[in-house]
Amino acid sequence: MDTETPAPPPQPPHGFLGPFNELLTEPLALLERARAGTARLAPLLLGAALGAGLYGAAAGFFQGGEQILVAGFKAPLIVGMTLLLCLPSLYVFSSLAGARWSGRTFLAAVSGFAATLALLLLALLPIGWLFSVSSRYLGSAVWLHLILWTVALLLGWRFLGRALAAAGAHGGTVVWIFLFALVSLQVTTFLRPVLWRPPGAPLFRAGEKMFFLEHFGRVFDVPAVDAKPEKPAKPAAPAKPATKPGEGPGAAR
Amino acid sequence: MIGLPRLLRGQDELLADALVGRRLLRHWSELCVAIAAGAAVYGSVLGWWHGPRLAAYDALKLPVVLLLTSALTVLFSWTAARLLGLPLRLGQVAVLTFLALAVGSVLLASLAPVAWLFTLCAPEPSPAARTAHNLLYLLHTALVGGCGLAGTVALWRAMVKLGAPRRTVRAVYILWVAAYALVGGEVAWILRPFVGSVYEPVVFLRDDALNGNVYEFIVTDILPHLASID
Repeated sequence: MDTETPAPPPQPPHGFLGPFNELLTEPLALLERARAGTARLAPLLLGAALGAGLYGAAAGFFQGGEQILVAGFKAPLIVGMTLLLCLPSLYVFSSLAGARWSGRTFLAAVSGFAATLALLLLALLPIGWLFSVSSRYLGSAVWLHLILWTVALLLGWRFLGRALAAAGAHGGTVVWIFLFALVSLQVTTFLRPVLWRPPGAPLFRAGEKMFFLEHFGRVFDVPAVDAKPEKPAKPAAPAKPATKPGEGPGAAR
Repeated sequence: MIGLPRLLRGQDELLADALVGRRLLRHWSELCVAIAAGAAVYGSVLGWWHGPRLAAYDALKLPVVLLLTSALTVLFSWTAARLLGLPLRLGQVAVLTFLALAVGSVLLASLAPVAWLFTLCAPEPSPAARTAHNLLYLLHTALVGGCGLAGTVALWRAMVKLGAPRRTVRAVYILWVAAYALVGGEVAWILRPFVGSVYEPVVFLRDDALNGNVYEFIVTDILPHLASID
């Protein structure tokens, strides 16, 4: 008599990009391997930091120069800090909604979410870069990145929502993504400035305390001439010396 | 023992015991511990804007608000349930209502890091920081209210398993939640401050704690103020 044997966990993906490709094609395979104890989360977390950093660097092209590095450094900090602050609530919300977690599966879900966010940010990077480079007003650049971040979160929720459902959660957890979005705005404010730094301003302004509503309200007051000074006009070309008679194009043939 | 994981993963064992009136005192005690611990964690963040002293006061007062409100309403809840056709013992009523509070408290505790971030980012308390005070107040109210709502969802799910007619369960549920909300608002008002005022020093209780209730304040101060705004 045949006895049912549990299906073996999915084959582990190969290479550094394999886990990311798997997030796009078979997102829940990560959880199944986490249950079997064969999931490798470090590449996902590393890739998440790298992806967020690259997006940040592209956003830093708004001001350019040193701010490219600063924004590239701060973007993964923003995502990482937000995740850390919201982890306890994710665990409790999802558990109350019926999810059955082990330490491994919970971390796998979180790592997968972070990596999915990074994938989406990388996919949006060319758009973010284009508008960062071409925008003159800090306010419009901020709006753009807010919209792209919202898109990334909504699509990233597709992974996390499915992971939560696979863990047994039913309903009520979508409120967490709104909490995550809110916290990300405050963390961004805490770690400001990100896109633009006035000359001589410090790298961090955490000592100047404010809520994100006030901070994002202020950025819209930054005039274009301060955010992106106009390039100085090219000096006029020197006048050519006058030609002697008989020289030049109309000279005798 | 119904530790945190079991409180989170489903309260089947607790509900099974509560339905037949078994081990009520033990379950109730464990729920009290969960409420005290969760509310204390959040309370410490709630008061942190004014420093560690108010944080310590709130870590003590927030669990007291929850437990005192339950103590004040449990007799009414039990009586109303029996009158409406839900033959529960006092112990069963206590366990069910404390289950809802424990769920809410654990949720609150999980949101403490989020509340801490906003508290950390708020300008220092001063008359000039009145807007920050109001925003913080709104944030804490939203978080506490949201977690309370989630707790009532847990209560509803538990009450549905009692097997009584849905109409009866619904009527009792509404009465329990309304009584708790009404009394809880007043208990919290008496035990203020929690976030702290930008005009007054940090104290454990206001001198005028029992001088007027919160609903009088709403009717005589808040509503006229709102009505006078053009």
